[in-house]
Amino acid sequence: MNYYQTELTRIRNQFFAKEDLIKRVIHGKRFIDSNFSKRLNLNTVAGEAYIAKFHFIRTFKTFYGLTPYQYLTSVRIQSAKKLLRRNHNVSEVCLAVGFESVNSFTNLFKKITGTPPAYFRSSQNTKSNFR
Amino acid sequence: MKIRVTSVMVDNQDKALKFYTEVLGFVKKTEVPLGEHKWLTVVSKEEQDGVELLLEPMGFEPAKVYQKALFEAGIPLTAFNVDDLDKEYKRLLKLGVVFSTPPTQMGTVKLAVLNDTCGNNIQLVQIL
Repeated sequence: MNYYQTELTRIRNQFFAKEDLIKRVIHGKRFIDSNFSKRLNLNTVAGEAYIAKFHFIRTFKTFYGLTPYQYLTSVRIQSAKKLLRRNHNVSEVCLAVGFESVNSFTNLFKKITGTPPAYFRSSQNTKSNFR
Repeated sequence: MKIRVTSVMVDNQDKALKFYTEVLGFVKKTEVPLGEHKWLTVVSKEEQDGVELLLEPMGFEPAKVYQKALFEAGIPLTAFNVDDLDKEYKRLLKLGVVFSTPPTQMGTVKLAVLNDTCGNNIQLVQIL
């Protein structure tokens, strides 16, 4: 074993020994990946993972660096960007990625990406017209 | 401020271009001759407007010492994300790629380390 493999083994044994818990957290994340476009709340996701809500939040953040809510938002915004690049209109995209209000979608999109969704859509489509 | 380019040090740019495009599957983005070397970058096929990877010629002696030490310790110089590590591992094995670490789960990620034939270990990562 080289130095790196020795370190990987040490870290795995020290920090990732609870295999069952890890499997459940991964299951919770995959549930978000497959259901982000639906109305989701934390109780549902934690329930899917068979972990108590606050324990799920803490563990998810430890493994992925984001809370489940932050992760859900990030998946929704990434998906919204893809749809906006394909020239879908903002209210259509808002509903397709799981937001219920165009206002909250627009505010969150702007906060995360730095531009409002309508501007993002038009700038992306202007770019593609020049290609 | 934006991150547009990152680099890997390579012992031979032509050999590196072949490996990074024909084996790993990246796409050449820029090739600008600069004397005996060139500004040579590749990008991911799926994100051609994304971060460029500069295949940087190894011209600085101390860098060779650093690269050799990292390589011998098995430490990856950098890492690339993949959607399905097991599938990618099988594909690359068939192409003759040598792995020092086969797919290994570390908590909520799975990783493997390959030899890029240009003096570096490269880590492939799948977020589970």
